[in-house]
Amino acid sequence: MRALLLLAALGAVAAATTENFVGHQVLRIVPSSDAELQKVQELQELEHLQLDFWLSPRGLGNPVDIRVPFPSLQPVKAHLEANGVPYSIMIEDVQALVDLEQMQMLRRRRFVPLSTSTFDYTSYHTLEEIYAFMDLLVAENPNLVSKLEIGRTTENRPIYVLKFSKGGTNRPAIWIDTGIHSREWVTQASGIWFAKKIVQEQDEGLANILDQMDIFLEIVTNPDGFAFTHTSNRMWRKTRSKRSGSLCVGVDPNRNWDAGFGGSGASSNPCSETYHGPYANSEPEVKAIVDFVKSHKNIKAFISIHSYSQLLLYPYGYTTTAVPDKEELHQVAKEAVAALSSLYGTNYKYGSIITTIYQASGGTIDWTYNQGIKYSFTFELRDTGRYGFLLPASQIVPTAQETWKALEVIMAHTRGHLY
Amino acid sequence: MPGLRAALPAALLLLSSFPPAAAERLPWPQVPGVMHPLNPSHREAVWAAWTALHYINSHEASPSRPLALHKVVKAAAKMIPRLGWKYYVHCTTEGYIHGENAGSCFATVLYLKKSPPVVHGKCVHAQNKKQIQEEDHRFYEYLQHQKKPITANYIPDSNGNIAHDHLQLWGLAIVGSSYIMWKQSTEHTGYLLAQVSSVKQQIRKDNAVAFKFIVLLHEIPTQQMNVCHMYLVWTLGHPIRVKYSCAPDNHGLEDGSGQDSGSAAGTSHETKGNF
Repeated sequence: MRALLLLAALGAVAAATTENFVGHQVLRIVPSSDAELQKVQELQELEHLQLDFWLSPRGLGNPVDIRVPFPSLQPVKAHLEANGVPYSIMIEDVQALVDLEQMQMLRRRRFVPLSTSTFDYTSYHTLEEIYAFMDLLVAENPNLVSKLEIGRTTENRPIYVLKFSKGGTNRPAIWIDTGIHSREWVTQASGIWFAKKIVQEQDEGLANILDQMDIFLEIVTNPDGFAFTHTSNRMWRKTRSKRSGSLCVGVDPNRNWDAGFGGSGASSNPCSETYHGPYANSEPEVKAIVDFVKSHKNIKAFISIHSYSQLLLYPYGYTTTAVPDKEELHQVAKEAVAALSSLYGTNYKYGSIITTIYQASGGTIDWTYNQGIKYSFTFELRDTGRYGFLLPASQIVPTAQETWKALEVIMAHTRGHLY
Repeated sequence: MPGLRAALPAALLLLSSFPPAAAERLPWPQVPGVMHPLNPSHREAVWAAWTALHYINSHEASPSRPLALHKVVKAAAKMIPRLGWKYYVHCTTEGYIHGENAGSCFATVLYLKKSPPVVHGKCVHAQNKKQIQEEDHRFYEYLQHQKKPITANYIPDSNGNIAHDHLQLWGLAIVGSSYIMWKQSTEHTGYLLAQVSSVKQQIRKDNAVAFKFIVLLHEIPTQQMNVCHMYLVWTLGHPIRVKYSCAPDNHGLEDGSGQDSGSAAGTSHETKGNF
């Protein structure tokens, strides 16, 4: 929201020329009483202050954002302080922010890749750039790659899955998704790299697999959340669904599946980061995959990718009961992790979700396993906490490369043990 | 089976005296005084190791070279009657800032009900202690001589970048945040530093170096981001002094990432592991 307004302001600046925002500040007030609300509404009447309400007063508990020109700062703050209205400074210098955004926009406009060979795999990208990449990949490889729209998000963004297929009809398939939690940026970035890798390996390392199986890859599994991490909150995890009766936004898409839904290991509080949602599959992002899996009926391996912690996990997360295929899954995980570590020595642990990370109910691979997709795994990619979600871009390619080694093991095992 | 009969009443006593975090507890026999070896992959072992490192970083390590967990080598836990679970951890460490091999630590972590965990730790350093002290000294003097207060935002930035000039500042944030994270850690809730939102130096008249930080702490398993306002005073050769106030990131009520400063007349909130 703020970024949009800022861009509008930037546009206005570009058109008008002389207005600048040097020394302007954006103040935030969250009125918690009628008296406070009234004092804030009074400010709207004082035209000589030239206040610009980015968020107008809506009611108690709703934030009010005001851009205050430099000459009005002192009187406005004095008015608020004298009346005991708490405020915080959201932006210390609006002009500095405008300058920064303008710089960033210019930088980005300089280079738009015309092919997947010139695409920069060593940087993080926006949603638009990733969607453009997908179209390039399909255009370059029409005999192998196609793009499917499996649904639309809450904010009406298309949800895309890339299908890699050498033919046949409804072949047994492998599913990989990245970015279900939007702040886990190394996962979407790895997804892009995987897409390119599959194309490169189609007649080499993957020939054996693609002769019998299809691969489905959903790179941005939570597009609304991902867009939000770019525009507003880098640490956003959930979807962006809104519910009447709550001020809080979003559902944890990895607690929204119909497996132990609503049990211990998820929260019923809409403001929680692990809010499971009002009911299973309430989130269109989740429902889209559920519908896809159910109608496909022939998916044999399902791999959902997260970050961070460096783990390879198999079901269950919602219960300590072991899955019937535990021995086999444990062995596959062991081999996959060994292959991963062989590249850069990265240390991974493996085991069931509940013993290795924590109890989580309504999780993706618990559901897929219960649907009969035996080879259901979840990854937690680099690192183990030093950078966490803010993994340096320089680690994208090494992370994708080593993860690919593990994926190869899982895919090969699935191919050799089709059921 | 005499052994079992003796164990059962003790086990029942335990079950009645501790609030049932039943969903969390792994099925170990809960017999007091017995050492249970833990799989180094298990989350309890990893979190105990981090709790120990948070304590060590805030009390002993330096802003130039704080420690991060590399790997848990061996772990065990013992139930101490009337107090809680005590974890024994042996882990290898790496430099938080540059990721180099930093040696290993042995630590015990006793989680209490109403106080911060009691940690005893001893580390074997792979690095040259004297060199680290010199780096600290140089950094300290550099900070003392600043006429204009140092300020910075978003360390690391969204793409994980940290300007070279900000590396030691990040180290200082790690040390200060470790104090908060140690104090807040419980057996079932752990913390890691997600980002430094902002840092502002406070120029002081005495010898000490002081900073106002806003840091984001990642809380596990709730996945919450806690916004902590931290006032840190560093006097070389003395333990770091930290005053802090944390609250969950208000992601429901606002669209922004909640970077607050100024006269927000807020109350000090304590974060809770609300699983």
